[in-house]
Amino acid sequence: MKSLKYFILFSVIMLLSSCVTKFIPEIDEKRELVVVEGMITDQPGINTIKLYKSLPLGRKIAAVPLRGCVVTITDDLGNSSKLYESVYGTYVTKAAEFCGVVGRKYTLKILTNNISTNNYSYESLPMEMKPVPPIDNIFYEKEVIEEASQGVQLKEGCQVYLSTSDPENNCKLFRWDYVETWEFRLPYDVPNRICWVTNNSSKITIKNTSALTENRISRYPLSFISNETDRLKIKYSMLVNQYSLNGDEYVYWEKMQNMTESVGSLYDITPASVSSNVFCIEDPNEKVLGYFSVSAKTSKRLFIEEAFSGVIDLYPGCPSDTIPGSRTVIPNLGRLVWVIIDGTLDMPPYRVLTNDKNCADCSIRGSNVKPLFWDSNK
Amino acid sequence: MNRGYLTNSIKLHEQNQHARFIRPVRNNLIRMKSKILLLVLTLFLFCNLEGQEGKKRSWDNQDLTFKEFVIKAESLYDLRFFYKDEWVADIKPGKFNGSFLLTELLDSLFKGTSLFYLVDEAGNVIITRNFALKVSGKADVTDTNFIPPTDYYDSQDNGELSGNIFYDIGNPADKNKPGNVVVSGYINDRDTKDPVAGVTVLVAKQAVGTMSNEYGFYSLTLPRGTHLMQLSFIGMKEKLVHINLNGPGELNVEMNSMLIPLKETVISAQKNVMFQRFEVGVEKINIASFKLLPTSMGESDIFKSVLLVPGVQSVGEGSAGFNVRGGSADQNLILLYGAPIYNASHFFGFFSVVNSDIIKDVTLYKGGIPSRYGGRISSVLDIASREGDRKKITGNAGISPITTHLMVEGPIIKDTLTFILTGRTTYSNWIFKLMEDPSLRRSMASFNDLNGKVTYDLNRNNKIDFSAYLSNDSFRFNSDTVYSYQNNIFALKWRHFFNSRLFSVISVNNSNYKYDISSQSQSLEGFILSHSINTTSFKSDFNWYQGRHEINFGVDLSRHEVMPGNYLPASDSSFVVPVIIEQEKALETGFYIDDKFILTDYLSINAGMRISSFFTTGPRTVLLYDPLFSKSMTTVTDTLNFRSNELCKSYAGPEFRMSLNFKISNKSSLKVNYNRTRQYLHLLTNSTSISPSDTWKLSDYYLKPQIGDQYAIGYYQVLFKGIETSAEVYYKKIKNMVDYKGGTKLIMNEHIEKDLVNVSGEAYGVELMIKKSEGRIRWSLGYTYARTFLKSISQFSEEIINSGEKFPANFDKPNDLVATFNYIFSRRLSFSTNYTWSTGRPITFPVATYNMGNLTLIHYSDRNRYRIPDYSRLDLSLKMSGNLKSRKLAHPNWTFSVYNLLGRQNVYSIYFKNEKNVINGYKLSVFGKAIPSVTYTFDF
Repeated sequence: MKSLKYFILFSVIMLLSSCVTKFIPEIDEKRELVVVEGMITDQPGINTIKLYKSLPLGRKIAAVPLRGCVVTITDDLGNSSKLYESVYGTYVTKAAEFCGVVGRKYTLKILTNNISTNNYSYESLPMEMKPVPPIDNIFYEKEVIEEASQGVQLKEGCQVYLSTSDPENNCKLFRWDYVETWEFRLPYDVPNRICWVTNNSSKITIKNTSALTENRISRYPLSFISNETDRLKIKYSMLVNQYSLNGDEYVYWEKMQNMTESVGSLYDITPASVSSNVFCIEDPNEKVLGYFSVSAKTSKRLFIEEAFSGVIDLYPGCPSDTIPGSRTVIPNLGRLVWVIIDGTLDMPPYRVLTNDKNCADCSIRGSNVKPLFWDSNK
Repeated sequence: MNRGYLTNSIKLHEQNQHARFIRPVRNNLIRMKSKILLLVLTLFLFCNLEGQEGKKRSWDNQDLTFKEFVIKAESLYDLRFFYKDEWVADIKPGKFNGSFLLTELLDSLFKGTSLFYLVDEAGNVIITRNFALKVSGKADVTDTNFIPPTDYYDSQDNGELSGNIFYDIGNPADKNKPGNVVVSGYINDRDTKDPVAGVTVLVAKQAVGTMSNEYGFYSLTLPRGTHLMQLSFIGMKEKLVHINLNGPGELNVEMNSMLIPLKETVISAQKNVMFQRFEVGVEKINIASFKLLPTSMGESDIFKSVLLVPGVQSVGEGSAGFNVRGGSADQNLILLYGAPIYNASHFFGFFSVVNSDIIKDVTLYKGGIPSRYGGRISSVLDIASREGDRKKITGNAGISPITTHLMVEGPIIKDTLTFILTGRTTYSNWIFKLMEDPSLRRSMASFNDLNGKVTYDLNRNNKIDFSAYLSNDSFRFNSDTVYSYQNNIFALKWRHFFNSRLFSVISVNNSNYKYDISSQSQSLEGFILSHSINTTSFKSDFNWYQGRHEINFGVDLSRHEVMPGNYLPASDSSFVVPVIIEQEKALETGFYIDDKFILTDYLSINAGMRISSFFTTGPRTVLLYDPLFSKSMTTVTDTLNFRSNELCKSYAGPEFRMSLNFKISNKSSLKVNYNRTRQYLHLLTNSTSISPSDTWKLSDYYLKPQIGDQYAIGYYQVLFKGIETSAEVYYKKIKNMVDYKGGTKLIMNEHIEKDLVNVSGEAYGVELMIKKSEGRIRWSLGYTYARTFLKSISQFSEEIINSGEKFPANFDKPNDLVATFNYIFSRRLSFSTNYTWSTGRPITFPVATYNMGNLTLIHYSDRNRYRIPDYSRLDLSLKMSGNLKSRKLAHPNWTFSVYNLLGRQNVYSIYFKNEKNVINGYKLSVFGKAIPSVTYTFDF
């Protein structure tokens, strides 16, 4: 069932006058709770558990890590693996020593060695690693956002779909996340012109197939790419990770999704805290945030290199000044202004300046190092 | 002139066994127009002669005029006629041959006219218009205790006349007996003959008063002697009746509407109503008063006026439902035609589900709920519906920016069988078409409803009516999910009068509410989700007036069937596995009795009890859980299976209702009230206000009935003429309310008990009111201080909210101020405004953020720890009636209104969104600007 979030839009138009404005709440409490953020998968490589204190809302500071904890992961066969602290508060498994196995149940144990946590110890419920099928297909379809009409250019977006199936019915609870990378080019001939931006998905995407007769997901709308960004201008790629979930974790994500995504309507769910699968041993009433995820994982990559119409130009207002001549000394060059068009060889010579460094150097927004996988679709 | 009593009354020879008697008494300064002659005549009816009109005479008539008829009749029967020529101009006696009694002839001639006649024993035939003369005779009553009722009639255009006539009530022989006696009777609308409920009947000198009940019946206990009885009601002309009370007796009164022919009258709160009511916390809202209120989108809305009552609040604009004295929205019993309405809002709560054209009046019981009502714990909103006009076919139609409505009413058989039919529909979809946003262009929302009622007077003692209500809502957003819901109500009601002191109402009704949510955008996952609740009720209700007692008793039986959820594939290509959650079935019963007992002149008691019970029956599968753990799928230990119709779980309990009314003085009274209520139906909602996907749930193996106890004290004082004040204090405790574990989905949840949390509620408050409800300028000012707290009760941490401490409920708005002002310039023009201010409702804010992988998640504060900003709104409206000429074909009315005149952006909710892993707060205002609207209606 689609959420009721359109109610807000609806009331906007129905009354032609409802409105939404930004609001910064005044909060008089300072809560710092222990956060356990971690996931282990069946993929080779390191698994990371992060331990830190939660941040007050709107605070732009870095979280305070919990240093010097003893973190171990045990399974139901009695195996135990100790993690080591790679950076403050970040505990990782040794790639050679630990790899998740489908069907086993894993428990996370944490002994804090920290005054701020009263030296309490924390432990998760035993979490089963469920198998996950491979992603059958990731594909996209062009969608018309706005038809061309008088004075209006055709605007196109792109809907990315995912299909997967598990005929053996081992996996019925799915979660996905993705990493998107796209190439962009500055419209000026500057030294750093071609760059790549990488962005992580920030939406909870889960699916329960137990209500379907056939364990098959076809055309799951994973992401819609609008024409409001330059993702579709040159080339775009998306790496989708598919995770299996056990029942407990599915419920956790579902509750989170209910509370974070169906907001802003007339019928918001009363928010409440969602309980973690990690508990404090000494004080069972202490609230622990976060979740210890145990999932099998498969991945697939998609490339989009087609021309889309009406994609927005992010650099329309770059030129801020034109300086005639080739010898004029430009104050603050390289600090507050940058050259984007160098016409010093033209007659008469001129230079076009910008005061937005983004227009002169693509590495401000992205990286000028081409990702390794970038040409792998060729 | 001297004031004198007739010493010799005359027995009339009428076929009617309800012999009508007159004993008018002359008072000083009789200012009568045409009727002076008639009254004078009646004073001289001394001789006890055998009348001639009792004999049959043979007629052989050929198209006589009335005048010729009179001449002939005078000679045939040896009588003299008194009348005014203009009254009889339209009467055509026509042809008749044969032998007739004069009364037969006159009865047929005057049928359907406003003429009455009286034949006295001196041989005078007195014709009157608009009122009837009655003569009481002691001869009739010497040997029986039953005194026939005295009927009081009065002309519509000369109200003050009534002050000059004394009506004898009771057997004059009892005149000198000691003690108080009871006078009772029925009050009807002169035009429609409908009983008028809620009329204040007051004898000011004795400080005795009462209100007519829903059948127009009233009963007063008074000392013998002469009294001035004052009858008043909103929209009706105040009536003064002098009575000469000899002994127990009855007086039936007809009252006139104030404005004729305009149906809508101006706002006028009930005079002395608060003062005379038995119960604390009962408000009656007349259709006329709320039709004048400013509208939000051009529609008069009953819920908007309910919200002006102190102690009634809503979560915010456009929220379906309302909260009464700290009760949740599902704790209000909303009755239409005596049947419950399960979803009382159209258009997400912007309109109430009942078309105001069908409403006669609305009574809201915030406390002091009479024992005949049961099944909800916070309030009862009883919507009394109109009956069709008995005389002629009339109607009205109206247009506002979003809706249009039409009403037609009239007789099928004059004075016997009437109908009323009203319908309403929207045409709001055009607004969507104008939208720029393509997703909105594909949206739609519409509703329509239809009300109908047929009333049939079988005879004087039996009346049957059949009512139907059908409503339909449908809306869709961005062409994805379509929501639709229907309310259907059918009700059959039979009123039977055993005698004038005992009558019964037997009714059978069915109320069905159903919604569908469907999505077909992805054909492989297309689904239809539906939910329904169906209640069939049988109700029998008896009213018995016996001296100082008014006893009300009866039985209620209701069969509830709930389809919690059916999730079905929308098409053959859909992969959706059909899921059908087991139906719930239950029988709810109630037996009740209460007695309104006038103990002394200063103290009256209304004590009653209702015994309600609830039986849920199979087929049903009940999971048993390990009692050591919070209920979840992993703690299931066993399953119980109940066969079809096998008793699964039953609940029963008494509900005591009690009110005391102390009359401190003529102008002040104190009332004390206690009532207990039990509720077996629950609306599962974990959003702030009622949402269209909420489901109804019956009490079951785990879900216990909610029990509410309310204690209230009210003090009422009339300051000086027209200004009334009241103060009410209440305390309320509610057991077994439900709350939910965080973030749970309630829809399609097969074993909901595992996601429910038991909470108890506590509410208290003070409601202060001062108002002036007479004259051209009328105003009121109400202030409420009220708190509502909830507290979770559980031993499991998962089920504990706010560490088990009490927390404010979603609708806890401590301060609430409502002011209204009306200025009636003339009959044709009136101005009305109202202002509301209240504390913002509580809200839960995020207090911490953390990450899970790439996602930023929110941790929330304790439940409802913060508040949204205060709410303030000013509305006004101007109402113009186009023309008062009664001959005009249609009477146009214009209503101009502005909702939220100050354009204040009242915050409906504050929410937090994760945008690119930054948590941003937003406030949503439903009405961001002033909303003007124009409504045009016309009566025909």
